[in-house]
Amino acid sequence: MSAPAPKKPVDWFPYLLLLPALAVTLIIVAWPLAETVRLSFTDASMNPVTHYVGLENYQKMFARRFPEVIGRTFVWMVFSVSLKLLIGLYAAVLLNAAVPGRTLARILIMPPWIVPVAIGVFIWGWMYNGQFGMISGLAQRLGLLSGPFEFLAYKNAAFLSTVVTDVWIGTPLVAVYLLAAMQGVPRDLYEAAWTDGASRFYRFRRITLPLIMPAIATMSLLSAIWTFNSFDIIWILTEGGPRNATTTMIIDTYKTAISRFHYGEGAARAVMIVIFLSLFSALYFALIRKLSSRGDVK
Amino acid sequence: MKKMTTLLGAALLASTAATSAFGAETLHMIMCGDDTTPGIPVQQGLISDWEKQNPDFKVEVEFVPWGQCQEKSMTLAAAGNPAALSYMGSRTLKQLAKNGLIIPMDLTDEEKASYAAPILGTVTWDGKIWGLPRAFSTKALFYNKKLFKEAGLDPEKGPQTFDELLADAKVITEKTDAAGYAMAGASFDNSMHQFLNLVYSNGGQVIDADGNIDFDSANNVQTMELVKNLVPYAEPGPVAYNRGKLETLMGEEKAAMMIDGHWLYDRVPADVDMGVVPVPAGPMGKHSSLLITDSLAVFKGSGQEDAAMSLAKFLTSPDHQMAYDIAEGYTPIRGGQKVDELLAKDPSWKPFIDIIPAGGPEPFVTDYVSMQDSINEALQGVILGEVDPKEAIETAAENLEDAQ
Repeated sequence: MSAPAPKKPVDWFPYLLLLPALAVTLIIVAWPLAETVRLSFTDASMNPVTHYVGLENYQKMFARRFPEVIGRTFVWMVFSVSLKLLIGLYAAVLLNAAVPGRTLARILIMPPWIVPVAIGVFIWGWMYNGQFGMISGLAQRLGLLSGPFEFLAYKNAAFLSTVVTDVWIGTPLVAVYLLAAMQGVPRDLYEAAWTDGASRFYRFRRITLPLIMPAIATMSLLSAIWTFNSFDIIWILTEGGPRNATTTMIIDTYKTAISRFHYGEGAARAVMIVIFLSLFSALYFALIRKLSSRGDVK
Repeated sequence: MKKMTTLLGAALLASTAATSAFGAETLHMIMCGDDTTPGIPVQQGLISDWEKQNPDFKVEVEFVPWGQCQEKSMTLAAAGNPAALSYMGSRTLKQLAKNGLIIPMDLTDEEKASYAAPILGTVTWDGKIWGLPRAFSTKALFYNKKLFKEAGLDPEKGPQTFDELLADAKVITEKTDAAGYAMAGASFDNSMHQFLNLVYSNGGQVIDADGNIDFDSANNVQTMELVKNLVPYAEPGPVAYNRGKLETLMGEEKAAMMIDGHWLYDRVPADVDMGVVPVPAGPMGKHSSLLITDSLAVFKGSGQEDAAMSLAKFLTSPDHQMAYDIAEGYTPIRGGQKVDELLAKDPSWKPFIDIIPAGGPEPFVTDYVSMQDSINEALQGVILGEVDPKEAIETAAENLEDAQ
């Protein structure tokens, strides 16, 4: 029987190297998060003196139409993300096609993503104007409208207008991301399918789509998180109106905490957002892990 | 060695002198808007004069866009790092005072007497004055004479009552391509302001003399009925319009009537021929106007409260304030010879100045954003046809209790 191998001393140096990163993470992520949770149990406001109020902020939040706001946020997100994915996928297929001018088309798709969001949204705001806007004017010329129509003045129209603007801004990134994934699909698969007489749609359905599915999954989850958190588009176009028709969780939180200075109530809303986004993130990482274990994601 | 000592001594002396020359304490002042308006050079000149009298201070003016300005001042104060002096909408003063973030203004009886009582009312709460009025506006009804003529109406006779306003708006809508009345309904403070002009002109109010919410009244239901009746004769989709956008419609002659401040003359092309009359009176009231002031407020905790108070008083002293008002085109805050001269030079100011004694202040509440949201939501509900005027007023009155 041989003697046990001598115990290797613990090498602390790598842990020491991690300390600065850990400290920064604690300061810029953990501490504000913990502070937000603490604030959510207080009546923090402009008054420098605050009191512990238990779950009162959460009770108030749910008593004041918050469930309605949560529902609206999810509808907004689902509409927007679905459209971005569908249009982005279609655009990626077109940009991947071997046609003349493809490089130029790939460049031209990017401006909505490159233009500063605020400027893009202001332009859309003018386009939605009934008296001077392009959309209403064009619709009147085509005989679709009998007179000026204010897209941001009516609940459903305003809601759809914010979705359209968000889709316009978010689609280029989806398209370019999916295009990159498509370019990673081995060409010999297409050649073999083409030799076997597979149609263009069949090749897309049975080769392209399955192989870019991990990219679609990743982009849909990331897009869902970004869309859920989207603030500037709605705020610039409607400030959450008319009659709260475009008030999502982020808008509601901003109005409560920043416009009305009810920091405690605002913090309770922020905690709810963190919970929802954590669920998304958990889903994202679980999916990535599953795909990685199958060897789809390298 | 001696040379070295002399050189070092000279350097020390020079640095001490430089320190005293450049050692003036910075006084942080926040102004809303940008530095391009005509009153700003006037104000800057006055600040320079004040600095000469107070060499220990150097005033650093920070211009913050309107949309973020008040929030910035309030957030800095709540975070314990306030500006010494800030330009604030007077409606925020109660909230700031109640939370102990600003200090009351120390005015002599003579200084108080220099203001008209309704103007001082816009900055007074709990018997104390919490800001010095810096900008003041009253409103009147502008009407487009060309469109009146086109519709067969007398262009020299603007509407005087709610009924006349409605009748004229109807005729103009039916007989011209323009909207009869420019109505604001966006989620914006000035949509509420537009409505409150009509509320006061029908004898209504938001808060009574004792500080209680008094919004649910027959007067206000009647005023909301007027809004409902005007909707068919307003521009399409009033909920998308705030006052600024309506001014564009007036400039383009796409709307015939609008309640606005005197500045509208400067915002429409010179060839748009406009008449102006007091805000039409409702059946239960008489001509009135919402009186809105913005103020200079001194924040607690900057360590420069006395200097900030001195600067605020200097800038708003009668002559200095008048020079600023005239440069900016604001309704003059104080009366006197300069106002008489202004009226003689430009009689269009008359309806805006004459209405001051009959005007009502912007309501003073603890949570003005909540008040704004409550009233705007009622307006939007009626404009969109989702609630009737009575229900809208009742709901708003309930919500206003939270703002109080």
